[in-house]
Amino acid sequence: MNAIEIKGLTKHFGNKVALSGLNMTVPKGAIYGFVGENGSGKSTTEKIICGLLHPDGGEVRLLGRPYTDPEVRAKMGVLIESPGCFPGLSVWNNMKLQAANLGIENADEEIIRILKTVRMEGAASNKYKNCSLGMKQRVGIAMALLGRPSLLVLDEPINGLDADGMRIMREVLTELTAKEGVTVLLSSHLLGELEKIATHYGIVRGGRMIKEMTAEELDASCRTYVALKAREMAVAKAVLCRRYNRVEEDEAGFLRVYDSATPEAVASYLYENGIAVEELCKAKIGLEEFYTDLMKEGKER
Amino acid sequence: MSQHTLHFESPSFTKRIKGMLGVDFYRLFHTPMFYIFLLISALISAMVLGMTGLPSPDGGESIPLYTNAWHIVAADTPLYVVRDIADYANMNMVFIFGGIMVSIFIGHDYKSGYVKQLFTTHAKKQDYMISKTLVGAFSMACMCITYLLGGIVAGLFTGLSFAVNIGSLVIAVLGKMVMSLGWASLYTFLNVIFRRYFGISIASSFFFGTGILIIGAAAIVGNSPVLNVFLYGASVSACLSSTPLTLLSCILCSVGWAIVYNLLGTRVLYKSDIY
Repeated sequence: MNAIEIKGLTKHFGNKVALSGLNMTVPKGAIYGFVGENGSGKSTTEKIICGLLHPDGGEVRLLGRPYTDPEVRAKMGVLIESPGCFPGLSVWNNMKLQAANLGIENADEEIIRILKTVRMEGAASNKYKNCSLGMKQRVGIAMALLGRPSLLVLDEPINGLDADGMRIMREVLTELTAKEGVTVLLSSHLLGELEKIATHYGIVRGGRMIKEMTAEELDASCRTYVALKAREMAVAKAVLCRRYNRVEEDEAGFLRVYDSATPEAVASYLYENGIAVEELCKAKIGLEEFYTDLMKEGKER
Repeated sequence: MSQHTLHFESPSFTKRIKGMLGVDFYRLFHTPMFYIFLLISALISAMVLGMTGLPSPDGGESIPLYTNAWHIVAADTPLYVVRDIADYANMNMVFIFGGIMVSIFIGHDYKSGYVKQLFTTHAKKQDYMISKTLVGAFSMACMCITYLLGGIVAGLFTGLSFAVNIGSLVIAVLGKMVMSLGWASLYTFLNVIFRRYFGISIASSFFFGTGILIIGAAAIVGNSPVLNVFLYGASVSACLSSTPLTLLSCILCSVGWAIVYNLLGTRVLYKSDIY
């Protein structure tokens, strides 16, 4: 069973098309990295999943049931944009109120457990308005974890987190999926971070899903290349272009040689042509570059 | 991928509404705004009643606004056409303050993102309408009490007569307190409609709360209890000559309003985007 199944989802805001037939499949237990440019339809999709927006068309099923089913909603934890907390109340009291809304018995024990999970146990008495941005995000995650949800929808949860906060978030989410089988739909612009935890990806553009794949598929699609720095870069590039079809200069000032090039072959070829190599290594493009390439392809088309 | 099994639970209405009411009452008692409005209600009745003893500006003999201290609570007979401040100023003013309070309360739900947190859970739209209505009604009923207390204290200072048919007075006060439910449902409905526009929410609550509709309509078509029921929720009927029938009409009207506005509000929430 898939945790999220969306078919032909459409949504308009006046004349603006936000979603035009979006399809999405999130397997149960996955950490699904939901990626796209601003205005591509990520938040709209998430808000529809969460029942905050009404779709104009299409079908949304969560945990095998229609998304409007209250029993399904009781199984969801959500952090959309920012946590829905009352600024004048403490973190603890905000958690208590959400626990009351969810009808959680023994809420105190549950809140203590969750605050420990997100490493916020020492800040329970802090007023929400006095929390730092990173702490607020963690409170949002804690609120989403109340009631032991089976499906977590997190919109940009790692924004504003420091390095330690991001590490904690990664640990929490990985642990939840591994131990409790929680499915996580996670949107973020921090692709490097997403890459560290996501098991599946969905890339959306212009209100449509343009690519869905597993982390393994992404790994297989991501080409390897040889990165190098030579004393005379322009000459090195010209020489390499004679043998290799794709040679590019990246933003860091390295030359990238694709086409299954090996460092040994590249180094010896440059040596034969009298070019001194200063730095040389084998590298692989990550999600960020894969995504950028995909977006470029779309725009060029 | 995962072998964890899912157990779906259907949260009962009682469980849902209990949780939501708990949250809303907690918020009500922890917001200074509630106590400020209670104080305002007491002060307004005391101040208006106090004005009755003021000398006239030209130094001549003052003409009291009221002849009886209980007029600050309700008129002797139902008044639809208002001629001066004394006709207007009675416990019905509480419904203006109540409207503003409900607007701020609901506005805060949206500003803080609480509704977003709420409606992504199992919470149903009708639960939200019911909870807000009940909390709004409770706060307005409390305002009625502080308004009454403020009036009594000021009445003692002004030396006005307290002679009244005690049964009618009790019914009048109870009638207005009962009408808090109907008014709260109207305000909740208005605020659900204008949820994205906080200023308009407050303005609309103020507009309806002032009773300008019934005053305007009465000026055109004349006094009519029908206007009262439809435009002012029988609140005007709750006067110092009230009978048990008056209380019954207030109960019926209040419950009727509550049902109608709750159904309409629920429909609006179901049919429109929430956040």
